[in-house]
Formats: sequence, C-alpha cells, structure tokens
Amino acid sequence: MSHLLKNKNLEVAKIYDYVSMCTHCGNCKYGYEYGSENNFAAMLCVQGDKFNFDSYRGSRGKVSLARSLMHNRIGFSDAVAHVLFTCTSCGACQQMCETDIKPYILRMFEALRADAWKQNVKIPANIKAWSDTIGKNYNPYKEKHEKRLDWIPSSIKSSLPKKAEYIYFVGCTASYRQKEVAIATAKMLQKLKVDFTIVDDEWCCASPLLRTGQYDIAKDFVEHNSALPDKYKASAFITTCSGCYRTLSRDYKMDAPEGYADKYGKNLPNTKVIHTTQLVDEMLKKGEIEFTGKFAQKVTYHDPCHLGRHAEVYDAPRNILKKVPGLEFVEMYRNQKFSFCCGAGGGVRGGFADYSLETAAKRVKEAESTGAQVLTSACPFCYTNLHDAIEMNKSPLKFEDIVQIIEPIVKRK
Amino acid sequence: MARGNHEVLATLEQIVGADFVSNEEANLQPYTWDMTWAEPRMPDYVVMPKTVTEVQRILRLANHRKIPVIPYTNGTNIGGLCVPEEGGIIIDLKRMDQILNIDPETCYAVIEPGVSHAAFSAALKATNPQWKGQEFSKGFDFGWGVHPASASVLAMAINHGIGHLNGRIGVNSQLLTGMEVVLPTAEVCKLGSCAYSDSWHSFLPLPRMDGLFTGWLGTTGIVTKLGVWIFPIRPYRDVLSVSAASAEDITKYMVHWRHYSLCDEVTAVSWWLAQIPIVFPYHDKPKDAPEFYSYSVITGWSQEELDYKRKIWKQVVDQEKAKGTKLFDFEYPPEAKRGRTELPSRIVGSTKNYSKSCGGGIAWPGTFAPCKSWPILYEKWKEIYIRHGLSPATRFTDYQGAHYGMLRCMTPFNKRDPASVQAARDAMVECVRAGIPEGMLPYKPPVEYQNELNAVADAGYLYLETKIKDMLDPNNIMNPGKLGIR
Repeated sequence: MSHLLKNKNLEVAKIYDYVSMCTHCGNCKYGYEYGSENNFAAMLCVQGDKFNFDSYRGSRGKVSLARSLMHNRIGFSDAVAHVLFTCTSCGACQQMCETDIKPYILRMFEALRADAWKQNVKIPANIKAWSDTIGKNYNPYKEKHEKRLDWIPSSIKSSLPKKAEYIYFVGCTASYRQKEVAIATAKMLQKLKVDFTIVDDEWCCASPLLRTGQYDIAKDFVEHNSALPDKYKASAFITTCSGCYRTLSRDYKMDAPEGYADKYGKNLPNTKVIHTTQLVDEMLKKGEIEFTGKFAQKVTYHDPCHLGRHAEVYDAPRNILKKVPGLEFVEMYRNQKFSFCCGAGGGVRGGFADYSLETAAKRVKEAESTGAQVLTSACPFCYTNLHDAIEMNKSPLKFEDIVQIIEPIVKRK
Repeated sequence: MARGNHEVLATLEQIVGADFVSNEEANLQPYTWDMTWAEPRMPDYVVMPKTVTEVQRILRLANHRKIPVIPYTNGTNIGGLCVPEEGGIIIDLKRMDQILNIDPETCYAVIEPGVSHAAFSAALKATNPQWKGQEFSKGFDFGWGVHPASASVLAMAINHGIGHLNGRIGVNSQLLTGMEVVLPTAEVCKLGSCAYSDSWHSFLPLPRMDGLFTGWLGTTGIVTKLGVWIFPIRPYRDVLSVSAASAEDITKYMVHWRHYSLCDEVTAVSWWLAQIPIVFPYHDKPKDAPEFYSYSVITGWSQEELDYKRKIWKQVVDQEKAKGTKLFDFEYPPEAKRGRTELPSRIVGSTKNYSKSCGGGIAWPGTFAPCKSWPILYEKWKEIYIRHGLSPATRFTDYQGAHYGMLRCMTPFNKRDPASVQAARDAMVECVRAGIPEGMLPYKPPVEYQNELNAVADAGYLYLETKIKDMLDPNNIMNPGKLGIR
C-alpha cells in the first residue's frame, strides 16, 4: 500500500488531508472555459510551458511530487528542488482546479519549498544569497536599508507628515529598482490630496520569503510591519506593488490556506490594505477626481498574478484605463483569471533569470499581437521583468505602470 | 535519484534533445500512478518526442533493447492504463499537439496525440461549415465527453471514449476516419483513405485495420495522427428530464425514447450519482426520492425541429406513464443544463463531484452493456456496492439507437485508507464478474478486469488476440501487462 503518510515530519504533511484530495484529473494543466461565441483554450502554466514534463505542469505534478515525498517513495534531490523553485506561484493551476485541494495549492508549493530548505539540495544560488542578507538589509536586493527612501524627491519628502491616515507601503522593488513608479505614486497621491506618509522603517513585506518557503525568517518581517499602522496612527496601507498587496492583505490577515495567520497570528486586524488601482477607481466612481489631459495610445494591461488570481482584483485597473481620455484599451487573449504570468514571481526572477525573462518575452509577444503601443500593469515587479524583456527583445512596445499613465493627467476635483 | 542506464539515456537524448528526456525520479513520479487504485510503478525514463521520426527512433531503440514503452498523453483514463507495470520508457506525447487540418467542406479534422479537448474545441468552434467559401452555419462539434479539458482527443477516441453525440452518432471510436501509426518495430503505416491520398475522410471501403489499434490500450503501436469526423453545431438545444422509481422504469423509458433516434444523448443517473458530491460512504436515499434521474439532449436547426422532438418525447413519457411505468417530472438544474448545452463543459468535465468527502481515489466498473441488462445488473451492483459500504452511483447512457450503451458506477474511495481501497477494488471486480454473463464488457479496463474477461473469453478470441499482439509486437514492448495475455 503506497498511499500512506510515512514522512510525517514534513511541513507539507501538515496539509496532507488536502493534498490527498487531488484526484489527479489534470484540469490544472491547461486553461479552458467554454463560451457562447468561442471557447477559451490556452496554456497558462509558465513552468509547464517551459519544462514540459508532467512534474512541472500545473499543480498535479507538484501534488504528485508532494505525495511521493510524503509516502517516502522518493527523497529530496536537486531535481526535486528544480521542480519546486521553477514554479512562479502564479496560481493558474489553482484557478483551474475544481477539487477540494484548490485553496491549498499555493500553500502546498510553499510548504514543499520550506521542506526543501531543510534538505541538502540545490536551492537556487541567488535566492540563497538574498536569503543570507535579508535579515540585515530588510530587502531582497542586498541594498542598504538606510537607502530605502533615497528615491523620494525633496519636494515630496518635505511635505510628508509624520503621521497620516494612510501609509504608502512602497515595497522593495519600487524603493530600490523601479523608483519612477514610486515617484509617480507619491506625486499622484499628493495630487489626489490623500492624507499619506512614507515611513523609513518599512521592511520587505516578506512576500519573497513566504513564496519561497522561508517561514522562520518571515516571522520578524510580518511582526515588524504589522506594528507600523499603530506607530504612525494610520488606518490603512496603500500599495502599488501587487506582491505587497497580496502579502499584507492576505498573508498577514487571513488564516490558512489564504494567509499565514495560523503561523504568525492575525495581524493588521484594523488596518485596511488598498492597492492604488482600487483607490483611484473608487475616487473616480465617487466623482472626487477627474482627468485633465489625454493619453492617446493603444494600451493593453497585464494582470499581475498577485493582484489578479491571488486577490481577484481584475476590474479596478480596467475601469481606470477605460476612463482615461484618448486611451484605447485592448485585452490580450489571456487575461484576468486566465492571464499568463510575467515569469518573475515565486523567486523565479532571482533564481532563474534566463527562464524568467524567456517567459516575460512570451508575454510581451502576446501584448504585441494586440497592436498595442503600451503595455501596462500594476506591479513594479512585473514592470521589471516585462520592461527588461521588451528591451532585450527590441520590442516596439513601451512599458508604463498604470500609475505612470494616470499621474500626469489626474487631479482632485 | 536517477534510474535506468546512461547508455539508453544518452541515446534518447540524441533522439529528442536533452531537455525532453529525464530519468530523474522527480520527473518520473507523476507517471507512476493515476486516479485509480493501481499501485504506483516507477518508469525508468520519460521522453517527449515532437515528430513521428522521433517516435520511430525511440521505438527502434526500445524494440532492440526490449525495453517496455508506455504511450502517454494526459494520464486521465480511469483505468490505470498508463501505469508502467514493468517500468520502461514513458513516451509522453504532449509535445505532438498540432491540429494538422480541419476540412470544413468534407467535415473531418486531423490531429496529433497531444491535442487537448480544450484546444480542439476552440479550433472547431472557430471554423465554420462551408462549401467553396459559402458558409452554412457556425462552428463544428465533436463528441465531447466527461473529462478534463486537458485530456487528449486522440487517446480518448482510440480507447472507445464516449462523447455527447453518442446517442446520435455513437462512441468516439466510431468517428475515426484515418490513422497514422508507428508500429512497435518502428515502421510507420497510414490506414484508411490517407494511405492513398491526402484525403483523410474515411476508412471505408478498405479493410478496417484501424481495429488493430483501437481498444488495444496502447499495446500494439503508437497512433501519431488521427482523422475524425466533425459535425456542424446545431444552434438550437434543450435538455429534457424525467425521473423514475426504478432502474426498470427508467430503462423502459430510455429504450422507448431512443427508438425514435431524435436525441443526441439520453442518460440516466442513480440518486447517488445525482448528488454533489457523490455520497461517500454509502447511506440510504430518502424514501420519497426517485431512484433514477434522466436527461436527454435534443438539438436542431430551428425552433420547430426542437418543438417536434419535444412533442414526440412528451408522447413517449405519457405513453409510458399510461402503461404504468413510474416516471415523474423534474426540472433539470440550470447549472447542469448549461453544462449540457454549452459544450464542451468544465462543469460536465469536472471532478469536483468526486473529491469532496474522500481521499482522491476514483475508479469505475465502466462498461458497455446491452440495454436490457441495465436494470438486472443495477440491482446486482447495488447489492454488491452497499455490501462494501459504497454508493451505487450508476449511469446508463444509450449509444446510437437502443442496441447497447454505457453502464458504469462512479466510485470514489479513500486512497489513504487501505480498507477503503480494498473495498472499492473488490466491489468493482465483483461487479465486472457479475456483468460479463449478462453481456457487459468493461472499457479502458484495469488489469484486474482484463483478468476477469480472459478467464471466460472464447478460446479462439484469445488465440487471435495473442497472435495479433505477437505479430505486431514480437518483443512485447508495448504497454506490457495490460491485456493479461502477455
């Protein structure tokens, strides 16, 4: 009898009951939905698209791997680690799943990675490298924490209050890499007369740690950031980063399988977490803000996995784009819940840069096929990967974060 | 941990490239099991060819070295068919995923083994029936079955899978028009009209050599291209439903209704199968609940045609009621109706019904049986299932004209509990044993069912089956162990 739990010490064994619910049906391996006009059908699993073997394709392969490990039929190896760490945690397989394992799929991936860290297997070198320093720098880019706010123009810095209703949680990528997104966001919030501040003791939200199964290190980060609203008398976090949004709104607050309250306690119980697209959409709906200029370009929107499938925020960015004067909005074939990941998430950009950029190039090609001039998204991390793929492949597309599109032409009424 | 030997691995890498071969257990393990009770068996290699030439070269190597070869597309056959009984090479055909042709005038398509139902349905829906550019209607249909969208159209068809047109046209293996197959000894053969021209419209009037590769569970060769008939989508659809007090009552109604050949499908499910999720473990149904529920899909080119079919159906129901057949009106749930009319459907094809209360195990005694045996076998199966603590979640579906049809019992079980696995396995094997004398034959049968069949088979049949297998596969490399004869 080979279907019995034998390796009970594994982290993934804690959700064995749910892992056992997978029927091995394979719904997760391919994106599909019928419709009255045309049926949607496309490959959504970036990992399966690249590596092909069933072990990599959809959640079924990883469930099978989890079971084989728990049943002691195979052991951890470098090949196992490769399967685990090349998944971008995009959630497409979870979207397609219809069995009772569905809500636990991403949690299972993370638990398996947590187990891999405890074994003598090949964890991607870059992940290991930032893992070694994140406890000191509080960001995965190995940048000094003291430089976190260097991006802020003096004009903005001088006007920031000590305490405010909102904390703009900038995130590591916008703070250290895509600084123009952070600047555009801060400028926009000022234009919209939002009572916000930016704090110098913001740490990484812990998304890269949780997604890669580094549970022990993540604990301090969750606790530290959870104390910020009280410290600054804020009632909400605003994020431009989809990864931060997912982590603060779900991982900090919710019990398993959506979040990690079971591990770190229920954090931020009285703090709202809002993505900039939600804020702007709401203000537009209330008639509080208006556009004063045009953006006369054809634009397509890439759904960040952490904002889309992970948090089901699909409408807000689209509502905004459709209201921008002059902007012609076009969808890619794979969109919303059937979007195709940019290839950066789950530690993949850090761990496997070539594969990550190859995936981004596929997404850029799809964006090109719409005839759009501009590819936009709502996440600085997607920005990094898609922008780099555009540059490397000499694509005619231009990448702009959605905040960069609207900031120059929006104002409070 | 790596398996197999380096020499074979190196040759496979030469054939398909290093990215498409693995002997690492991490990559082999998904191919060791499926939904069923089949014990996991580890292959030694998985290889993913892209071309027919690559398939030939792999088979040449395997045949020379007498290594078992298991053809694989999605591994969702509910019969343990791709579990490698004796290890060997899994040929994962998912990279051969091209729809090579959709002929909208002659109404056939040619596909590779890796074409999924999802991709095929989308392509057919986007192609319109026409003659010399003049379009008649919108989109084409195929027999969409109860399976995940990722399942292979080709694998399902050559293993006698069923589709939603089974009442009108028959099972999907009756829709085949041409075939390209690589023999275990590596020769490539075309079968049907495509052997003589580029037209893949029909096997007839040639000898039906495709029969050497349909229903053989991948034990005689690897089908690398398949021609299938496709059918214009009829724009008008409806679902007619009725319930019945017993298996006898529902069968009477179904046979009568099918007499007129007016529906695309007529199916009945027992109370236990109609529940979401399927009742597991067994408990009694409410006393006042019908034993069976039936749905029938009618389609047409106009509202008048649909109304006419509905009128005849009503006459049948009324006549049966007048004769004392215990039929009751019931409204088919809207969500299910959507699943039956907007095809292929994720709702129909989902497995959500099966995992709620059990531990991921699913199998069935899935059989073809003469309609008159349905009520007899249902009562026998019900007794067997209840005795094993399982629900008789049974389905009857007519195939093309009241001759015979599907009789199967969807059986969830808890893979984590050896007693649950054993109970399900014992019940299902007992059902097969009870059914064979009544004309019932299992399709996509696990090894245990094959053994039951072989024990009572006509000696001449087994002789010929063995002779054909030996002739085509002299070294018994193709999916060994599945037929129970080698």
